[in-house]
Amino acid sequence: MAKNRDILVIGAGLAGIEASLLSAQAGRKVYLIEQASYFGGAAIKSEEVCPNMECATCMLAPKQSDILENKNIELMTLSKVTNISGESGNFTVKIIKRARYVSLVDCIGCGACFEPCPVSMDNEFEENMSKQKAIYLACAGALPNVPAIDMEYCLRGKKQEECTACKEACMFDAIIYDDKDEEIEIRVGAIITATGFKLNDSKQFKQYGYGEFENVFNAFEFERLRASNGPTSGIIQSRDGKEPKSIGLIHCVGRDNRGYCSQVCCMYLTKFAHYALDILPGVKVYQFYKELSIPEKGNQKFYHEVKEKGVKSIRAKEIEIIKNGNGAGLKINYQNEKAEKESVDVDMVVLAPYVEPFPGTDELGKLLGIELGNFGFFKTAEFDSVSTIRPGIFVAGCAQGPKFMQHVTTQAQAAAARALNITED
Amino acid sequence: MVKIGLYLCECGPNIAEAINLDKIAEQIKKDNKVAGIEQHKLLCSEDGKKFLVESIKKNEFERIVIAACSPKQHETTFMEVMSSSDLNPYMFQLVNIREQCAWMTPDKEAATSKALRSIRAAINRVRHHDALQQKEIDCNPDVIVVGGGITGIEAALRTAQKNRKVYLIEEQKLGGRLREYGLLFPTMQPAQEFLNKKITEVKNTGQIRVFENSKVKEILGFFGNFVATIENKDREEIEVNAGSVILAIGANPFIPTGLAKYGYGTFDDVYTAAEFEKMTSSNNITTKSGNPPKSVAIIHCVGRKRLGYCSKVCCTNSMKIARYIKEKLNGVKVIQFYKNLCLPDKKYDEFYKKTKEKGIEFLRFSDIEVTKEANQMMLKYKQENDNEDALPVDMVVLSTGLIPNPKTEDFAQMLNIPVDEYGFFKEEHMKLGPISTITEGVFIAGCAQGPHSINDSMVQAGAAAGKILSSLVPGRRLQLETKTSYVSETMCIGCGVCVDICAYGALTIDESKRISVVNEVLCRGCGNCASACPSGAARHRHFTTKQITQEMIEILK
Amino acid sequence: MANNFKPNIIGFLCNWCSYAAADLAGSSKLEVPATLTTIRVMCSSRVDPVHIISAYLQGADGVLIAGCHPGDCHYQTGNYYTRRRFALLHKIMETFKLDPERFRLSWISASEGKRFSEVTKEFAEHIEKLGPNPLKNKPFIE
Repeated sequence: MAKNRDILVIGAGLAGIEASLLSAQAGRKVYLIEQASYFGGAAIKSEEVCPNMECATCMLAPKQSDILENKNIELMTLSKVTNISGESGNFTVKIIKRARYVSLVDCIGCGACFEPCPVSMDNEFEENMSKQKAIYLACAGALPNVPAIDMEYCLRGKKQEECTACKEACMFDAIIYDDKDEEIEIRVGAIITATGFKLNDSKQFKQYGYGEFENVFNAFEFERLRASNGPTSGIIQSRDGKEPKSIGLIHCVGRDNRGYCSQVCCMYLTKFAHYALDILPGVKVYQFYKELSIPEKGNQKFYHEVKEKGVKSIRAKEIEIIKNGNGAGLKINYQNEKAEKESVDVDMVVLAPYVEPFPGTDELGKLLGIELGNFGFFKTAEFDSVSTIRPGIFVAGCAQGPKFMQHVTTQAQAAAARALNITED
Repeated sequence: MVKIGLYLCECGPNIAEAINLDKIAEQIKKDNKVAGIEQHKLLCSEDGKKFLVESIKKNEFERIVIAACSPKQHETTFMEVMSSSDLNPYMFQLVNIREQCAWMTPDKEAATSKALRSIRAAINRVRHHDALQQKEIDCNPDVIVVGGGITGIEAALRTAQKNRKVYLIEEQKLGGRLREYGLLFPTMQPAQEFLNKKITEVKNTGQIRVFENSKVKEILGFFGNFVATIENKDREEIEVNAGSVILAIGANPFIPTGLAKYGYGTFDDVYTAAEFEKMTSSNNITTKSGNPPKSVAIIHCVGRKRLGYCSKVCCTNSMKIARYIKEKLNGVKVIQFYKNLCLPDKKYDEFYKKTKEKGIEFLRFSDIEVTKEANQMMLKYKQENDNEDALPVDMVVLSTGLIPNPKTEDFAQMLNIPVDEYGFFKEEHMKLGPISTITEGVFIAGCAQGPHSINDSMVQAGAAAGKILSSLVPGRRLQLETKTSYVSETMCIGCGVCVDICAYGALTIDESKRISVVNEVLCRGCGNCASACPSGAARHRHFTTKQITQEMIEILK
Repeated sequence: MANNFKPNIIGFLCNWCSYAAADLAGSSKLEVPATLTTIRVMCSSRVDPVHIISAYLQGADGVLIAGCHPGDCHYQTGNYYTRRRFALLHKIMETFKLDPERFRLSWISASEGKRFSEVTKEFAEHIEKLGPNPLKNKPFIE
């Protein structure tokens, strides 16, 4: 039986985008599927990436346009794999494409539908720090530039009301209330899974007060605070809108319980320190770390540059965050390197929770017939960290384990090489 | 007169309600510079595109201006329409009157006059457009891999295919630094077994031609067509052709001779981790006195401050060594002196835990000195809590970082790629192009790019393979960037300003003519050279000074 | 007079960052002065000093160049050249009896739609205060 040369890429973050672009460049048909209504993954949530402080949007946007313009790539958002059969060279994959309720063909992305929608709900992309309508675009500039309707919140879905506000506002007949989920079947020769990661919800670690104190933020929340297209247009502020005078950055949240170092946290917290010092004059920034892990060339220099701007770096144990008096202020209690108890008062705390697999990784692993490792990431071979136990199925990016963007890119490129190679005649 | 067609897109109400398109049409008609004006509800729709093709053909327009949305939205769409209308896609200008006019200008009158200005400018620009052609060149899919360490081996294995030959060039024997390894981290498997299996695989792959004891004398050419001169083991010069080059020349361990406090070179039994590794591969751990050591200290981060970076692999390598010693020598005491443990992988904390369980001690220090009292080596150290202490040891292993291979500079010059501030090859982009260089077709993999674990080096080798497999497909021609620069032979004075500023080495001086020439394979079309050229000889296609100034003049009228 | 004065401002935008930022300003419905008309170039380094000088000679009241932040250039180093040329031109402008304040270089990244709106508003207001370009309609430079 002749090999199928087409390639399926699951997950359209940095890894999935890179793997798709390379595969398509080689002349292959690529199916790129993404569970969210937009693509770009976690990378597009950042304002800048360290140590060179490049604008993340500027980095990703050209790649995203390449995906959208490439005739060899079929991007499917709101989609999920439901079944896989066959073997390397000849897989049959069933995909469910969830209804968007807005036509990707007819919508021109003018946004006229947002304003009339009567529903206001939390914006998940913005870490619930801003509101969106039931018909929404994840953030300004999200791609594809076509909104989706969240039927769970839309009055039509939830209360079965005959609201037609968005349809009336749309001049392009792009709203499809009777849009249906669609199951399709595709045939491919190789599969690259690049489903990415999420940050652990650190509520379980009560000592940090996340979820209890409003001014304890997690890393993505802080990242969106600094984002120029985020809920505060890039202004770092506490929940009550005040400019923080002091910020505590907590490393290694949950690492000891979880059992691994997430690799990227020391650096992005250093980047956060840079963000704060850059735009908040006179702000005091404290970093509380256990082990400082700043591998990769360029990172140590960045760390020291930021530190010299006035960050107080403290090796600390037994960190505990409590309320400071009656206001919104916080107190960080800890034990320093001399085993003395100390504390500092801060207006804001940012946590770096450990990186864990994206929800649904286990389920997908079962469908793909590939093993998961101890921590639920896809298991890959020793000294071949893109290959799974199943021939023809490869892994790229943080679905394999936490890593810096450069390693996400290289893994995606390496996975593409393998997928291209095994589907050669 | 050239027949220019103007199309105004209403974009439903988006443009039509914010801009008075009738007024614009009226004004443009008065200007009498276009052969026809048409308006449509939505030009990017299927209906709109069909309308465009039919209208362009019927009116026999030669150049087209479309006033609609941002080129980021639909420039490609409309360029395809141009092709469908049998026109060169570059005989077209898209005016962004939606994002950058209708949507940002609340006042309709102001928006209308701004849109009119922009449309007039585009009409004036499009008459100076050239019919650019997509160029293609023949290319060679074969690959030159420089360096036969584990990275080079992996790169060769991943690129070799039925229609793709690989030339793997190694100065000594295949295997590189791994040949001196005893065990591999984190699997603790024998390194030589692993390596030999890989080498056998290379030798069994018919498409890989291995040059051992050979040197790369020169590499000329560019992406798609490189020629390398190799001096083989018999000192004969051999030429090979390939479309791409992977530099996998590795790194060297830092030798801490200049750092007196570690006693390296002063006292016996002070080794670098790399030297110690060699002893493990020969399976014989003894001090100079001939006895096995009763205590070994491993000092981390040696030279890190001087190097300016964390070498990433030393912490884990130190643990590997410690475990090896503990297993080999009964009752030996092994202590790790560290500052910060760098364990950046999901598996490493577990390895660390197990290492501790095996009785290996870990001690955090802030300062340390290796001394000798009587005949006993002593480690004097200070902890973070400022406590000072001393410890007698029989052997000291210095965990030093990795520094660039001294050949890095030579290859950098040969292939026009920069080195970073530490002396490693500089990647094209740290995050998005970590194994690419600014010279198209030249890739860097493994420790030549910076310190990496064996696993990461091998992934990088695979990544380089990915870039090559996707861009140099056997039997396919290489498509080049269209909006490149070119140099007018008659205007160029050969000053070389453009040569110096081009980030991609796309410009060189043609010595026979004493003028500058553009290599269109390398040019990425930024136009910097055109701005720098003092004689107006360097020109940027589709962004010529004429085109830009004509656009501008109209805006300023 | 200053009240009625509507300046004519040219904005050269690099394709990858600032043009995208301008688009984002538009799609976020943020106001940008209508007195600014943009010209798209692939890289800010394509803006030749000749273009700028001729813009003023043609009567431009202000010229803005916007590109990727230093270090972010899509073409490695283009914007560094832009910065140098800008510094030089700034000096030359005085010899033309032109206020260097009529010339602005800004780094605006693709996600900074809001910043694009703010920078252009502020620049346009400033130009309005400066009044018309004194070189406008003058056939010769004195």
